[in-house]
Amino acid sequence: MLGWFAGPAVLGLLATLTTYSPFTTDVRFVGLANYAAVLRDPQFATAARNVGLLTVFAVPLELTAGFAIAWLLRRPLRGRAAWRVLLLLPWLVSPIASGVMWHFLLSTTNGIADFFLGWLGAAPASSPAGDLHLALPAVVAIEVWRVAPFVAFLLLPGLESIPRERWDEATLAGASVFGRIFRVAVPGMQGLLLTVSMLLVGLALGTFDTILILTGGGPGTATVTPALYSYDAAFSTNDWPAGAAAAWVVAAVVFAVGAVYVRVARE
Amino acid sequence: MSRRSRVAALAVVLVVLALPLAWTLVASFGVTPNNNAQPPSWIGPPTLEHFAEVGVAEPTFWQELATSTALALTATLLTVTVSLPAAYCLARSRLPRDRLVAQSFLVLASLPVMAYVIPLSDLMRRVHLLDTFEGVMLAQAAVTSPLAVFVLHGAVRQLSPEWEEAAVIDGAGLLGILGRVVLPLLAPTVAATAIVVFVLDWNMLLVPLVLTGGDIKTVPVAMSDFFTFERELDWPTAAAALVVSLAPLALLVAAFHRLLEQFRLTNGTGLTSDD
Repeated sequence: MLGWFAGPAVLGLLATLTTYSPFTTDVRFVGLANYAAVLRDPQFATAARNVGLLTVFAVPLELTAGFAIAWLLRRPLRGRAAWRVLLLLPWLVSPIASGVMWHFLLSTTNGIADFFLGWLGAAPASSPAGDLHLALPAVVAIEVWRVAPFVAFLLLPGLESIPRERWDEATLAGASVFGRIFRVAVPGMQGLLLTVSMLLVGLALGTFDTILILTGGGPGTATVTPALYSYDAAFSTNDWPAGAAAAWVVAAVVFAVGAVYVRVARE
Repeated sequence: MSRRSRVAALAVVLVVLALPLAWTLVASFGVTPNNNAQPPSWIGPPTLEHFAEVGVAEPTFWQELATSTALALTATLLTVTVSLPAAYCLARSRLPRDRLVAQSFLVLASLPVMAYVIPLSDLMRRVHLLDTFEGVMLAQAAVTSPLAVFVLHGAVRQLSPEWEEAAVIDGAGLLGILGRVVLPLLAPTVAATAIVVFVLDWNMLLVPLVLTGGDIKTVPVAMSDFFTFERELDWPTAAAALVVSLAPLALLVAAFHRLLEQFRLTNGTGLTSDD
């Protein structure tokens, strides 16, 4: 299995040091020129900035919202199993389907927002996905909608496995809700929170499916991500070396985050 | 927080999370809002015709649904078959750094597919697996295996080795231990992992998108070309396709929700909390 992974990876990494592409027979060694070209490309800089903002905003929001849902589900409740299933539903929507769905839900003719705006007597608003300044926040919101339920699903067992005495001690000491969250829950599931954060950061840095239909990277380059940049370069504009090199830049960032994760999780 | 206020808060969360899905569900039956009316109203008697229209707008949609199902099933089976022995051997390896290895699997699981799919597509072309069922299946299994190894490793670490020692005394080999001791003891966790992996496989876009070219098409790939320069699907038809693609997963999760409670991510040591 590792060979299945590492084989193409190593070959692919070496190929990014050349002009290799499946569409050409002229392969020359060019050193780091492909990387230099990608890192100098203003479009890639925009993509990196977008995905940076997306990660910085989406991951904490997903963690917070997911934790809040898990917190509400922690103690016994009538119909708890049904709540759990219903609250997991958004995660079952594939990212591409989520993009298709929100494309329509944000539109003027069939959308949710305009329906309620109309009730309030307000003028219809155009889709935030088509707005230069609102497109990226809209993508963040949609990703939080889809991923927070999964975070809740992952965090709930961690919350449940904190021994009862810890909660009792905190309650006896007169801790408020926030006291119990930050002095019992968070320290009690640090490792799990780190693990979930690692997954979420990787997910955010690879954002591709959701924006493919919803915005296609637009308007302009407002929601281009490195993954979309790579895909377009390799499969649309036939600039294979640029696409592969850009993909390796993303991989390098994920591995750097992974190195931090491994180091922090050891303590 | 009193129980009543918790239920109220959950109801608010549910409305926020489920309203978009409910909106889509009613749209798939042809009931859509008319936002141009004042106040906005609803159009249309409920109808089933939009589900039939999916097959008109995308003539191979039902074939794609079958392909997605078969792909997700076989890829999940392969992932679990490969990951359980890998996780078991890692957990029982007595490597001084087995936790580090397990955490590396998590980092691999976090690696975006885009990071490696470009060279992979070229490799698949060279070994003549491009646009084949087997090619996509192998690649999807490889994508989901690191997460499965990480989760199952945590589960094996929680097992007492005494059970296996008894089997070893009875002369069982690795397969015997796995099949007769580990699998029965971990069956709920393995099943929960399989369900999560199935969901990931069913929803995977980039792998089939890049590794296929027309012969093999899955539902997410079909959705990615609902909108092209020539056409834009109308909302009720798109909604019907969304509902059809989500329904199997919703039913699966509803049917096996008890098992899914056994899905545990860990911090690499097998413990969910840090005690």
